[in-house]
Amino acid sequence: MAVSKCTRLNGSLIKQMLDSVDSVLFDCDGVIWRGDQAIPGAPDVINLLKKNGKKVFFVTNNSTKTRKMYADKLALMGFNATEDEVFGTAYCSAMYLKHVSRLQGKVYLIGSNAMRQELEKVGIQQTGVGPDLISGVQIDWANVPLDPEVKAVVVGFDEHFSYMKLNRALQYLNNPDCLLVGTNTDTRLPLEGGKAVPGTGCILKAVETAAQRQAQTVGKPNHFMYDCVASQFGLDRTRCLMVGDRLDTDILLGSNCGLKTLLTLTGVSTVADAEAHQESGCPKRLGMVPDYYVESIAELLPALQG
Amino acid sequence: MAGLVSNRGCHKIRGSQIRELLDSKLNVLFDCDGVIWNGETVVAGAPEVVTLLKQQGKKVFFITNNCTRPRASYVSKFIRLGFTDVAEEEIFSSAYCSAAYLRDVAKLQGKVYVIGCQGVVKELREAGVPIVEEDTDAPTGTIYDYPLDPDVKAVLVGYDEKFDFIKLAKACCYLQNTECLFLATDPDPWHPLRGGRITPGSGSLTAAVETASSRKATVIGKPSCFMFECIASQFNLDPSQSLMVGDRLETDILFGANCGLDTMLTLTGVSTLEEARGYKDSDDPERKDFVPDYVVETIADFIEAYEEEEG
Repeated sequence: MAVSKCTRLNGSLIKQMLDSVDSVLFDCDGVIWRGDQAIPGAPDVINLLKKNGKKVFFVTNNSTKTRKMYADKLALMGFNATEDEVFGTAYCSAMYLKHVSRLQGKVYLIGSNAMRQELEKVGIQQTGVGPDLISGVQIDWANVPLDPEVKAVVVGFDEHFSYMKLNRALQYLNNPDCLLVGTNTDTRLPLEGGKAVPGTGCILKAVETAAQRQAQTVGKPNHFMYDCVASQFGLDRTRCLMVGDRLDTDILLGSNCGLKTLLTLTGVSTVADAEAHQESGCPKRLGMVPDYYVESIAELLPALQG
Repeated sequence: MAGLVSNRGCHKIRGSQIRELLDSKLNVLFDCDGVIWNGETVVAGAPEVVTLLKQQGKKVFFITNNCTRPRASYVSKFIRLGFTDVAEEEIFSSAYCSAAYLRDVAKLQGKVYVIGCQGVVKELREAGVPIVEEDTDAPTGTIYDYPLDPDVKAVLVGYDEKFDFIKLAKACCYLQNTECLFLATDPDPWHPLRGGRITPGSGSLTAAVETASSRKATVIGKPSCFMFECIASQFNLDPSQSLMVGDRLETDILFGANCGLDTMLTLTGVSTLEEARGYKDSDDPERKDFVPDYVVETIADFIEAYEEEEG
């Protein structure tokens, strides 16, 4: 079925599109908030969608918060949302290790306390969170005592990332049976307050380069995060909309999973970016062309209020 | 066997074949780790080989990606391991060459932000290249708030056992300015340690900074040619008269190919004969440059090459 893509969503098309979906998945940074500021109109959009009987989910590659922390942040900003509607990579990585990897053993964690908490919730022990300092000379570091129960190295955003942690991870990964799992490959992480710092993708690249192997990535655009939502809530992918600001994560996830996709321009990607992918004719890039775009999700309001 | 041809042939040679090859070369460039020593253990016969080559009138150089020591410290190591006549001027490390690049090629006007160990910092100071001075034992900020120096015109990334997230964030900020140079000492993803262990290399740290900044570093170390250009400019070397001896196909041998040198793989280090033959049999044309011209078990085989003549 040839679908014309990258259509400006306005007028009656908005209502038509909304009527064709039962569930809406929203990315967070650059879509419903920026740092700790809600995008104007975003809380009303989410709340009205729910009032109109739609299911709403939040799907974010950010691994620094647990589902509970996200729920608290959402509530503070006026979004009517519950913990089980939130799918961040801290939670999804724990689910992946538990249900897909079926990990029997511990994790060496380069990641946040939030990741530690989500792992513990599914019964997976970790070692390494925090600064994880090693002392001594170089040959000592290569001989750091390894915990024989560690069966996976897991990498998420870690402000304590250091050479020593990279080294420890490398020692574990010398065993080819030790898994390497990354939360996401985003190169930038938006902080509260609007600044951005290097993202998990940079840390993961360091580990992959040292160990000379590729990680299994859990986050968008990998389909696992959609599978996670769908398996818990029985979604019909033909009646699902993915709303995001990044073509290479959000929109590509939507395309990979057969969802409708909506690009909002309050974040990273532009219409020009989308059109460039469309004109490229390259099959790999066509998945990054959204079905629709809006300047901001607030443009959905009139159709929801009407 | 007369007329050995330089054709990436992966020829295992010994005795008179080695002699014939060496007689045709004026200059021999040795990698260090895995060639003349492994960690603190000398490769048996290596000191004798260096002395022998010099007696035969060859120029001998040591060219290493290892940026953890300044040259003076390398001289001490050479002495410690039994080499009696190695001069500082014959040693070319990626730290020394990075400093030379900034001073002589880039002619840097401004400071360098260094992610690197003392080996790198000392070479920069020695070369008179201004660096951002930081007290590495005190906290240098948080991810929300870190100080930046307005005079930074270059970022240099090398092996740094004190690498942390804040250094990554600072480097990324400096590199937002497209005029700011981005250099890496070497691309090695890991370095071998004694007993088969490995430790993360400069290449893994550079990969993090490249990903953060969406920029590619200019790499000084092998297999890039700059280190050969550095030696050649000081000693007037002719590539066709020079032999590169190394243990790592992806760095030393590729370096030789890139610079137009004949190459010899020695089997006392990282790469194996099987790997070399694998590259030779590969259909991928890019892999051809990883294939050495010659292979020896150990450089100590050079000694018997000269002894045979005298026999």
